[in-house]
Amino acid sequence: MTAVALLQWVLASVPEIIVVTGACILLIVGELVRKGRDELLLWASVAIVLLAAVATLMLAGEIRPAYAGMFISDSFAVFFKLVFYLATVLTFFLSRKYAEIEGIGRSEYYVLLLFALLGMMIMASAIDLLSIYVGLELMVLCTYVLTGFLRKERRSNEAALKYVILGAVSTAIFLYGVSLIYGLTGTTQLDRMAEAVSGGPLDPALLLAVVFIVAGLVFKIGAVPFHMWVPDVYEGAPTTITAFMSVAPKAAGFAVILRVFLNPLVEASNAWIIVAAIAVATMALGSFVALVQDNFKRLLAYSSIAHAGFAIFGVVAGGQDGIASVMLYLLIYAFMNLGIFGAVIMMRNGDFSGEVIDDYAGFAKFHPGLALLMLLYLFSLAGIPPTAGFFAKFYVLVALVERGFVALAVIAALLSVIAAYFYIRIVMVIYMREPERTFDPALTPLVRATLAFTAVGTIGIGLFPAWFLRLVQQAAFGG
Amino acid sequence: MSIPLLSLIVFVPVAGAAVLVFMRSDDAVRWTALGFGIVDLALCIVMLAGFDTTTHEMQFVESRPWVAALGITYALGVDGISALFLFLTALLGLISVLASWVAIDRKVKEFMVSLLVMQALMLGVFCALDLFLFYVFWEAMLIPMYLIIGVWGGEGRVYAAFKFFLYTLAGSILFLIGVIVLYFQGGETFDILALTAQDLPFGVQSWLFFAFLVAFAVKVPMVPVHTWLPDAHVQAPTAGSIILAGVLLKMGAYGFLRFSLPMLPEASLYYSTLMLLLSALAIVYGGLLALAQDDLKKLVAYSSISHMGFVTLGIFALNLRGLEGSILQMFNHGITTGALFLFVGLIYERTHTRSIANYGGLMKAAPIYTAFLALFTLSSMALPGTNAFVGELLVLSGGFAANLAAGTAAVVGALLSAAYLLGMYGKVALGPPSVSAKHKIHDVNGREMAAILPLAIFVLWVGLYPRPFLGIIDASVRNLLVQVHGEGIGE
Repeated sequence: MTAVALLQWVLASVPEIIVVTGACILLIVGELVRKGRDELLLWASVAIVLLAAVATLMLAGEIRPAYAGMFISDSFAVFFKLVFYLATVLTFFLSRKYAEIEGIGRSEYYVLLLFALLGMMIMASAIDLLSIYVGLELMVLCTYVLTGFLRKERRSNEAALKYVILGAVSTAIFLYGVSLIYGLTGTTQLDRMAEAVSGGPLDPALLLAVVFIVAGLVFKIGAVPFHMWVPDVYEGAPTTITAFMSVAPKAAGFAVILRVFLNPLVEASNAWIIVAAIAVATMALGSFVALVQDNFKRLLAYSSIAHAGFAIFGVVAGGQDGIASVMLYLLIYAFMNLGIFGAVIMMRNGDFSGEVIDDYAGFAKFHPGLALLMLLYLFSLAGIPPTAGFFAKFYVLVALVERGFVALAVIAALLSVIAAYFYIRIVMVIYMREPERTFDPALTPLVRATLAFTAVGTIGIGLFPAWFLRLVQQAAFGG
Repeated sequence: MSIPLLSLIVFVPVAGAAVLVFMRSDDAVRWTALGFGIVDLALCIVMLAGFDTTTHEMQFVESRPWVAALGITYALGVDGISALFLFLTALLGLISVLASWVAIDRKVKEFMVSLLVMQALMLGVFCALDLFLFYVFWEAMLIPMYLIIGVWGGEGRVYAAFKFFLYTLAGSILFLIGVIVLYFQGGETFDILALTAQDLPFGVQSWLFFAFLVAFAVKVPMVPVHTWLPDAHVQAPTAGSIILAGVLLKMGAYGFLRFSLPMLPEASLYYSTLMLLLSALAIVYGGLLALAQDDLKKLVAYSSISHMGFVTLGIFALNLRGLEGSILQMFNHGITTGALFLFVGLIYERTHTRSIANYGGLMKAAPIYTAFLALFTLSSMALPGTNAFVGELLVLSGGFAANLAAGTAAVVGALLSAAYLLGMYGKVALGPPSVSAKHKIHDVNGREMAAILPLAIFVLWVGLYPRPFLGIIDASVRNLLVQVHGEGIGE
């Protein structure tokens, strides 16, 4: 262990170091910020994330393993980290006014988000089951607390408690799988595990271990049969946190799933049949149950389950296009979902919660511009061209058909028709009902910027997908 | 070609929509929309003027890479099959603007924007030479059409809009899977011309044929997936009905002509009897349903199902007369049915009822209106001298050559159409003035005349001198037949 090698290791993890240092400083200094000067916290947090983003971009283009096979900085990790930064910064932007209205805008809020970001970054870079575990736990511990951040609301408390208990169980299952793997192969590193099983029929105990690990990971992305926490947590958590959780931690979960599934161990175990079943069940459940939701956040929760299902189809497809399609899906989903959540968050003003879908009746009459944006996000979520949502689905379907899973592609496509129904139902409420009230959306410049940015992404990736496609393909193939 | 004419044609309405967004006065919005419509129609006429009728090759071709990694290009071009539809779309788009001049009195700007975007997408569908691009245009149409029906429609508009949206989406999503399968079968390209040149195994062709059939049959619509159409037509505003009947329905048939026949020739031949029978069913069933309607719009809507049956009959007759007849008949149907919906809309604006039973003796109150109504009714019945006669005659002669039973059913359908159309006309125009028609009905005004006249001109022009229209499609249809049957079996 030379000093140079150590320096190399540190260098590979500079973005993580920036975030952890920044978060710790903010934790201490943040308490000194006087009430009413909360925007300082916001801008400091944004600055930390941007700094980390710059560091990440400077590391891009080279594969840097570090910490004795626990950690790697490759283009795959870089891509996911950029998605996390995007989601986190936009969440900060959306939080400013909302946190003030709800009275939660203290420094812990921002610090916890930063630590959650750190956890996700570690997950994206982890190539050892133990470092995956560390990142995963860091992330979920922060989101447990953030979910319960509306301390005076029972709904929020209940959601946090549910989340903690179910989350702990799933973590235990995951850890048990890891211990089985270690017992059977003597390692927890993803690539060494693969070597240990190459050749020969698969040990049934290993299969069991794989199932446990899959189950633990599936919980994090909210797929069937471990989806029960999603609607309650999404409904109870502060809306900004819901927006964040529906995008970033989900992407982190997929990063890990892709890393694990790139692994020959899983390919050898025929686990894709399980995963295909999970994908179908997840998408079907999300789509059908969303049909009957009246609460906007609950509907978006089920919608996010359905979208997770669609992305899992990309995992089933596997191969380079399959991986790239999942990554593109997550990027596009980040834009459109943060957009629609931005619209919901903006509606929270005064006594108006903006959580009931019928409350949006006739919104288009008073705010045609904002209504048009919501229309854009909703049609994108439904997967109608020329929006980005269509291209995301299209690429997953291409990956499926390429591998010969035409029947699965048909199922995925038909289920997405059902999902389209509840999105266009919201469009109907916004455009085709008579207004019953006037609206006073909390349109701060930051919210405006977020909406504009996500809208540009949603329509821009749809019209000019070439560059983004190349980006994910490089990230998937090069990593 | 240095000027990208087709791109201009497609994107002029988009530019118009973008301009409208910044306007405030409703009148300015109407005039601007009209202006852009006229420019677009003029561009289409320029295109037709420069159109070479001697070749079946794609003309005015533009191509640039769009998503290179997946072999997707932005490619536009027209041949004899699509050229007429571009013109028809631009013409009906213009007429839709005129038809909504006073009928749409709220959210005028949003309506005109939707209408122009719709027009651009429809034009795009007819120009696209890349399957992915085609699909984007095809599917994106759902958004403006959903809004046009759902926001500006009648009483049951929300239900109708949902039904339209979900039916069409469910149909086209299978088409999408078919497209992707075709992409991998045909050497990882979405280029329509390259895919046409492929020779796919029959098994693959069969699957794809049915995947495509679902999408196109919903759009046409063919029995039994026609039930969205009466709802959508009845609830849509006049302009929406004109666009739906005039252009949207043609897209399904255009899909058969552009994809099913040339790309899946063996499957098309193999299943042609099935398609002929489905078409015959649509002709007779649509006619019977139309016979039973009291609502004017519903009557025209069901007659559309019947008339589109003629179109698919002609297509799957798979001979020269059938194909040329059906393409011409699509053009005719766009003109005539567009006009009939316009007429229903005009009278509805005055009386606010569409029930045939409430009308009578309109001839006295509005002689010009009834005179033109007579012209279009007769055209819809395919009376000699009108446009539909030429088309229907060709289709029938092609149909009889292909399948006696289907041809006979078509004749029955033609008789039915005479029955319901003459019955409708008799009750509305002739007889004693009815009770509810006692309030003063104005005859057509200048603006309405401007919408009616071009349609009337085409009714007579195609009816009396169809040669220029057949000339445009001839070379491409002959080439299509060669693609289906192989060399030498043209007739």
